[in-house]
Amino acid sequence: MHSQFKYWKPYVSPYDPCKPIRVKSYSTPPQLYMNFQPPGLPQFQSPKQALMHGTLWPQLYSPYPDPHKRGEKS
Amino acid sequence: MTKQMPPEYYKLLEELQAIDFVIVELNLYLNTHPHDFEAIKQFNEASQHSMHLKIEFERQFGPLMNFGKSYSNYPWDVDDSPWPWQV
Repeated sequence: MHSQFKYWKPYVSPYDPCKPIRVKSYSTPPQLYMNFQPPGLPQFQSPKQALMHGTLWPQLYSPYPDPHKRGEKS
Repeated sequence: MTKQMPPEYYKLLEELQAIDFVIVELNLYLNTHPHDFEAIKQFNEASQHSMHLKIEFERQFGPLMNFGKSYSNYPWDVDDSPWPWQV
């Protein structure tokens, strides 16, 4: 299973006056790894769940923004 | 006291929003999967459910949409509040 986010460590200059951002992330949703959506994928049980997740198929769900923020907080 | 909508109003609207979202998802899916019979059946069921919800909503709370997509009562109440952004 492919991860939803990828992380990298940007270069931090010693002369940078701002608080350094040590780890950054970008979203890699499942559709990047899915060629052509096959028919008959399992769906969310209720329309409300689908609405809350933003897709009808759990396999295509992609959280945003990054729930576990790498870097400063976690 | 300003006009207040009963909880039923919001429940129906939320249900309508959810079912319409499913319809949009299925519609987009079917654009690229025209032969998926199961999805077409689900799409038609969802559309019918959405129509029933709209009829029920309009029976209780008056017109939902403008420009002929909803009937009006007397006097004209298509422009009654709450508007979508006021809900």
